[in-house]
Amino acid sequence: MTDTPAPVPTGRLIGGMFRRQRRDTALCAGFWSLHQVCEALVPVAIGLVIDQAVGTGSGTAMLWSVLGIFALFVALTMGWRFGFWFLSKAVVQESHSLRMRVVRRVLTGRGIRTSRQHGELLSIATSDTQAAAELLELGSRMISALVGLAVATVVLLRIDWSLGLGLVVGVPVLVLGLHALGPVVERHTSAQQQSIGRAAATASDLLRGLRPLRGFGGVDEAVRRYRSASRSSLRASIGAVRAGATFVGVSTFTTGLLVTVVAALAGWFALQDRITVGQLITIVGMATFLSDPVLNLADCVFRLATARASAARVAEVLAAPEPTGSGGRTAQPGPLVLHEVHAPGLDGVSLTVPPGELLGVVTGQTTTADSLTDLLAGARPPERGEVTLAGTPVRDLDVATLRRVVLAEPHAVDLFGSTLREVLQTGDDRDDPAVRRSMSAAAVDQITDGGVGLDRELLDHGLDLSGGQRQRVALARALLADRPVTVLRDPTTAVDAVTEHAIADGIRAHRTGTDRATVLVTTSAPLLDRCDRVVFVHAGRVAAVGRHRDLLAQSAYAEVVLR
Amino acid sequence: MSAQTSVLPVATGRTTLATFWQSLRRHPALGWASVGTSLAASGAAVVVPLLLGRLVDLVVADGTTRSLLLTSAWILGAGFAAAVLTGASRWLVTEWGMRACADLREEVLDHALRMDSARLESAGSGDVASRVTDDVEQVTDSIRLAAGVFTALVTVLVTIAGFAALDWRIAAAFLVVLPVHVFSLRRFTPRAKRLYAAERQAAGVRTQRLLTTFGGMRTVHAYGMAQRQSQRVERASQDAADARLRAVRGFLWFANMMNYAEAIGLTAVLLAGFLLVRAGDSSVGDVTAAALLFHRLFGPLGMLLVSFNDVQSAGAALARLVGVIGVDVPATRSGDAPAGRAAAGVTAKSVSHRYADGPAVLHDVSIEIAAGESLAIVGASGAGKTTLAAILGGVFPATDGAVWLGGRLIGDLSPTDLRRTVGVVTQEVHVFAGTLADDLRLAAPDASEDDLHAALRLVGADGWVAALPAGLATPVGDGEHPVTPGQAQQLALARIALLDPPIVVLDEASAEAGSAGAHQLELASSAVIRGRTAIVVAHRLTQAHACDRVAVMSRGRIVELGRPDDLVAAGGRYAELWAAWRR
Repeated sequence: MTDTPAPVPTGRLIGGMFRRQRRDTALCAGFWSLHQVCEALVPVAIGLVIDQAVGTGSGTAMLWSVLGIFALFVALTMGWRFGFWFLSKAVVQESHSLRMRVVRRVLTGRGIRTSRQHGELLSIATSDTQAAAELLELGSRMISALVGLAVATVVLLRIDWSLGLGLVVGVPVLVLGLHALGPVVERHTSAQQQSIGRAAATASDLLRGLRPLRGFGGVDEAVRRYRSASRSSLRASIGAVRAGATFVGVSTFTTGLLVTVVAALAGWFALQDRITVGQLITIVGMATFLSDPVLNLADCVFRLATARASAARVAEVLAAPEPTGSGGRTAQPGPLVLHEVHAPGLDGVSLTVPPGELLGVVTGQTTTADSLTDLLAGARPPERGEVTLAGTPVRDLDVATLRRVVLAEPHAVDLFGSTLREVLQTGDDRDDPAVRRSMSAAAVDQITDGGVGLDRELLDHGLDLSGGQRQRVALARALLADRPVTVLRDPTTAVDAVTEHAIADGIRAHRTGTDRATVLVTTSAPLLDRCDRVVFVHAGRVAAVGRHRDLLAQSAYAEVVLR
Repeated sequence: MSAQTSVLPVATGRTTLATFWQSLRRHPALGWASVGTSLAASGAAVVVPLLLGRLVDLVVADGTTRSLLLTSAWILGAGFAAAVLTGASRWLVTEWGMRACADLREEVLDHALRMDSARLESAGSGDVASRVTDDVEQVTDSIRLAAGVFTALVTVLVTIAGFAALDWRIAAAFLVVLPVHVFSLRRFTPRAKRLYAAERQAAGVRTQRLLTTFGGMRTVHAYGMAQRQSQRVERASQDAADARLRAVRGFLWFANMMNYAEAIGLTAVLLAGFLLVRAGDSSVGDVTAAALLFHRLFGPLGMLLVSFNDVQSAGAALARLVGVIGVDVPATRSGDAPAGRAAAGVTAKSVSHRYADGPAVLHDVSIEIAAGESLAIVGASGAGKTTLAAILGGVFPATDGAVWLGGRLIGDLSPTDLRRTVGVVTQEVHVFAGTLADDLRLAAPDASEDDLHAALRLVGADGWVAALPAGLATPVGDGEHPVTPGQAQQLALARIALLDPPIVVLDEASAEAGSAGAHQLELASSAVIRGRTAIVVAHRLTQAHACDRVAVMSRGRIVELGRPDDLVAAGGRYAELWAAWRR
């Protein structure tokens, strides 16, 4: 979980995909090749039937022909069907595994440094992983198309070596020529995908802000903005379509040219009696069949560009750097200490959080409070100074183990899961009495009223809870996680005064009596009143340390905590 | 998580088709051009095998080299025409579909944003988001496919005409494939519908989980619960994968039937040719042409039937989009002359409310707020404060009772008039992606740069905005320049100031800022309240105390109402809260 993944260039990502799915992809390519061979034999069979049965009028020959055609089609059907099944399995499995790698990469450790919006990450995790996995399909299709071409060539070589030779030379030239058009198409498609991504990101951003948006009547303007994003996406799409259509036109013409030349030559040979009429029909049929694998190859080339662009975006997320590095040492519980730290709003602050203490940290400045919370949580390094846990600098600690020791519940509440029990559990599952204890400490036990208890179903994100309930559920979750050091930032801003007192008692009772350390970064008097010690940070420095009631005598402190 | 997915309607097949057809008809010129080029392209493509048949006949009849060259030239010409026309039709048909699809997705977002709140809240943001992103994308992507289907359909029809031109008896033989196709389609369609709907639904749940996960990344990091949350996503993703494979399995049976139909059709054509040639009624060349034509049909017919798979699932996505469009939204035109900036009071009579089938959360609340007066609502969590504020602010209608804003019933105001009358700051704050100016102009699109600065100054945000790297032009929102919750609250208040309504409803405007910024925010909200009728849901009692009157709520009722000092003196519930607050 903690290994830092090596950079994943697109080529390596694609290679890995084929390696992982080699069995199913190979099976698919094999079966599809069988299918192609059968397809190639269909015009041969038609030629044979016309030559041997229709031309001669022999009933027995016709009977054998019918049986032969059915045998051929059974093989053809089976080939396609099994191939498709194995391919679907491979694509579904691979897109799932790519998706999970993206999710794990984003969630593990400190996450990734990226400029992409959540909507874009979503589209990478859903559509790009799918499109990238479809490279497996393209691989199988190209192999089977090549096999089909090979069979057609052999058949033609056996009838007339010069025609066969012409194909061996002509087809690669055609495919290479079409391949050269690829980059033009790719430029258009990647522009299109980017701009579709932006339109989707705009839509999901607006939807997430829908409640506030309606509150200030911004819907009309929001609709107008989406419209303009959608129109620019449309323009890009149409550009890509034109490039694609040109490509289709060119490839159709080249295959048409191939068919004409082969047919004209074969006709001439037949006129000179070098070949029979039946052979002519076979050649003409083969020439028409040839357009299938050639167009198939061309189409694969076309889609290759799109799929590669998707794979590149997936690779970019997988290779994105962490915001700050992680050390290798295992975090141990112990005193959490800030030594003379400098950060925005902090101008040389030292502070110790010993095990067992309930510590209040007070500041009137949001920036200062943010910096302190982040530093204590090890979420960012100080500009100067040092943060240590049990004597080890935090930056040398392995993030995963650090998180088992220090928890800072983010102030913006995000809940996960569909039942209350699921929402509260964050690591090793805790038993119900423990869950209930933490809920009552957070004064949120009444939301299980009505007999449903902890299995109460919550709407997506706990949206059916009030702001105050959500805040308290998050607090209960933090208490249940029971880390040696817990940092709580303004945990009671959305609750009423009476409940706030209950919570203050609850936190104190829940966290003390053990060697658990708790830091409350807050200006709430009821919370501070229960603290063992309060540190007042003013103008970037520690201005006073003591009990809340004693500090109230200082006017600067009183001004911040009394409302 | 799946229980609420059905709250938003899914359109029936007929409605879906009708709606999409209407969008297509909005572009008649493109439509005619598409049909024309497709017909011509297919015609040219059918001529090629017919000419190849002629070539065979010519060889059988021992023709001259000159006539052979002439026929070859015709084949080349037809091939060239087919290529040009195929390219053009591909472009025109796809553009036609894309334009229709763009119209459609804009309409979907429009409806999603305007949908009545009760429905939206119960549908959950995930379902709406998955329709507006996933389904829109699937429909957009399948436009190319649909263009291919359209071309294939035209080719099949033109080829059948080509058969008929060759020999009607061979054409009749070809028709034996139709019953086989009809049989397999009819057996497959109902199953496919179920399978693809299940697939879409599973994908919707997956999107919802991914969205929640990416949105709550910070929390996942804080708890180091990557493993747990990944597993949650993994379950949803695995379910979606399984649903997909089930759909594939169902489809394979159908694909088999298709190949057997081809075998039967080819046999029938050859057999008919055999009998006709033996009877001397047809030439070997005609039979060759027919067989080649039929063989040519494998491609487009296969394309038609194979893409049935994707057309079905795109159809399911389209039905979900049309379902959103089908939801009634309040009319946007304003009924009367704009309400203007005249002072307005708020009156509520016997308002009661319940969410969906839940218990009542408001019981018979009546209150009158004079123009220019400020009212604070206080009380414990779950007392119904937010619900009452939302109803007074017209965010959603009460299930019972009536509310008047400035003397007009809320139900009689158009959405535009409603927002000119009352501005609401909700519990959630959201910083919209774009520049800071874009964010503010969502509330007032025509506001000048000076207006924006004035609004920011009013809420005390001018300082930090000036310190941003590019000032008002700084990109904010997801992944851009970070904005603290307190700053986001200030922006929310600034938007209301720009909207400039006579009535404001502020719900916990200072709650999310953290107490460090709370004082600053209180100043900001009192600046916004000044000169307006205000309803403030207050957790910080200092804020309540600054209002003209306070309403104390408990269990869905207003239990105390009066001037703050009078309530303290009366020694009731407010006095108790006030004492706890000052302790």
